[in-house]
Amino acid sequence: MLAAGLTLPALPGHPSFHCPLRALTGLPCPLCGLSTSVEETVHFHLGDALAANPLGVLLVLVAVALLVLRPARLALPRAVVPTVLAASWLFELHRFSFL
Amino acid sequence: MTEPSYQQPAYQPPAGTGPSGPRASFGRRLVAAIIDGILLGVVGGIFYAISRPLGYAVQLLITIAYLTYLEGSPSGQTVGKKAMGIRVIDFRTGGSIGYGRAFVRWIGRYVSAIPCLLGYLWMLWDKEKQTWHDKFANDVVVPESAYPVESWPG
Repeated sequence: MLAAGLTLPALPGHPSFHCPLRALTGLPCPLCGLSTSVEETVHFHLGDALAANPLGVLLVLVAVALLVLRPARLALPRAVVPTVLAASWLFELHRFSFL
Repeated sequence: MTEPSYQQPAYQPPAGTGPSGPRASFGRRLVAAIIDGILLGVVGGIFYAISRPLGYAVQLLITIAYLTYLEGSPSGQTVGKKAMGIRVIDFRTGGSIGYGRAFVRWIGRYVSAIPCLLGYLWMLWDKEKQTWHDKFANDVVVPESAYPVESWPG
């Protein structure tokens, strides 16, 4: 993820892929804005990253922490992933004025 | 003297409470939508790479053109619907809905999507398995096996 965030903008044309849900229905999905957010975070454009999706900043921080700390095991409470995805979706729905 | 119509059987008034003919299942329609969504996302991404400032405006135009042309064609099939063997037909005549109503169907997709996709999920309990955008365009989505396609896009 970090590697993609660093290399994709440097490639000719800046390859990207549009959200299938948004392309077809107009509604953003819970993962919308994450490519932008991760890219902007690894380039230290935190304002743009937070505007696209704050989850991207969080994911980069977690990824860096995991790379540095290298914990032997990782235990997450079961509710974390659904809760984070729901929060991310609410943010995106708000960003695109559906909420 | 009327023009010769498409080969589908004419609409029969519903007897009892069931649907008035075979209808495409939710699963097939979902997979067809995923195929179309990914296809549109990839094509949109390519155009985005060519001209960044236009971004989602180009995506929107591609989506409108794709859905209006293919769902309004005599086959009533997008690439995803063709792959899943389902098609859009006029609820009353069984023929094509034409480009005008295919465009209405596209606008209806937004209405269906806004209440967290409720308009899409509506087909799960609708008697004719219609989404809201099906109702706006007065169409039904049916299996190709029961309503054969002559040619694609036709």
